[in-house]
Amino acid sequence: MKARGRERGRYTAAGGETYVFRLFVAGSESNSTQASGNLMRLCEEHLKGRYQIETVDVLKDAATAQKNNVLVTPTLILIKPHPKVTVLGNLSDTRQVFGALRLIGNGR
Amino acid sequence: MSHRKPPYHALKSKMKEAEALIHVLRTHQVDAIVGERHIMLVRLKQAEEKLKNSRDQLRALAARLQFLRENERAEIAREIHDEIGQALLSLQLGLSWIAAKVTPKQQPVQAKIRSLSALVTTIIRSVKRIAIALRPGALDELGLVKSLQSEAREFEGHTRIRCRFETNLGKARFDRLGSVAIFRIVQAALTNVARHAHASRVTIALMKRNNELMLTVNDNGKGITKKLINSKNSLGIIGMRERAIAFDGTLSLRGSKGKGTTLTVRIPLSRVLIG
Repeated sequence: MKARGRERGRYTAAGGETYVFRLFVAGSESNSTQASGNLMRLCEEHLKGRYQIETVDVLKDAATAQKNNVLVTPTLILIKPHPKVTVLGNLSDTRQVFGALRLIGNGR
Repeated sequence: MSHRKPPYHALKSKMKEAEALIHVLRTHQVDAIVGERHIMLVRLKQAEEKLKNSRDQLRALAARLQFLRENERAEIAREIHDEIGQALLSLQLGLSWIAAKVTPKQQPVQAKIRSLSALVTTIIRSVKRIAIALRPGALDELGLVKSLQSEAREFEGHTRIRCRFETNLGKARFDRLGSVAIFRIVQAALTNVARHAHASRVTIALMKRNNELMLTVNDNGKGITKKLINSKNSLGIIGMRERAIAFDGTLSLRGSKGKGTTLTVRIPLSRVLIG
């Protein structure tokens, strides 16, 4: 069961591994909005049809943030595929995000 | 219980996490910090930007008002000089004409004319002084350097405070608005010296240093306090600083108790010199 304040992102079953992200944001603060937009664009461009984004608003659901050891927002956690990876910030540095999420050279 | 050191890779990963955290905080990419009990919103960047914008707007407004004020002053000075000055001159000529017509027998009339004529002369002098104060005529006619020399002489004459003017910019040509700004800063600084410093000597220096114009006004008075320098009620200082900032310059004040005060204005030469 999902905690209150979470929103389920787009998910379409397709070939290849499905990427499951959990994005922690703070309401509609500017960095959070940017992170959300950047992640959505990145997924649509490079993982179309095989991604799932779960957004957690820490202002509504602080417990989930604490359970996930989230210290700041925006924080993006790649839940699957393993290993779990955490990326901080507004995700505007696409190269860094790609590198962190192991999306470079994986035969996308 | 044995104390086990964490494995090297775990330490390395913690370091990386800490570095990432510092990076996002430094680059203002964080908008909330999640605490155990509270979530703290971080709006530093936006607040800074808002503050900077409103400060810039206020500065632009202050510069615009200063410009309008100078124009208005110049206009009033011209009107006073041309209209009232000319009328008073005609009045004096008229009195001289009447005086020439009065016979020696009309002694009281002659005395009255003489006193009226003296009064008109005093009024003409006052009008001239007001017009010059509103818009220093010398500034347009003689340029900044000579106007400052004359201002220093007048200051010494009025206040009995010894006033010296030094410069290495004898032949430089200044931009009109720049000249007005520097002249007004010197006027305000001298007013402060006369009113508050209890000084017996003041030195004004207008120097070219590398690519900067450096103006210093130094006195040997009681020395301004830090409290006064930073007070929001020190409108004279705020006005001088705003004039300097309008030309991408800076203004600083340093006071030493019992030894005096030094005001320093630095303005890029390119903003005030035209030749």
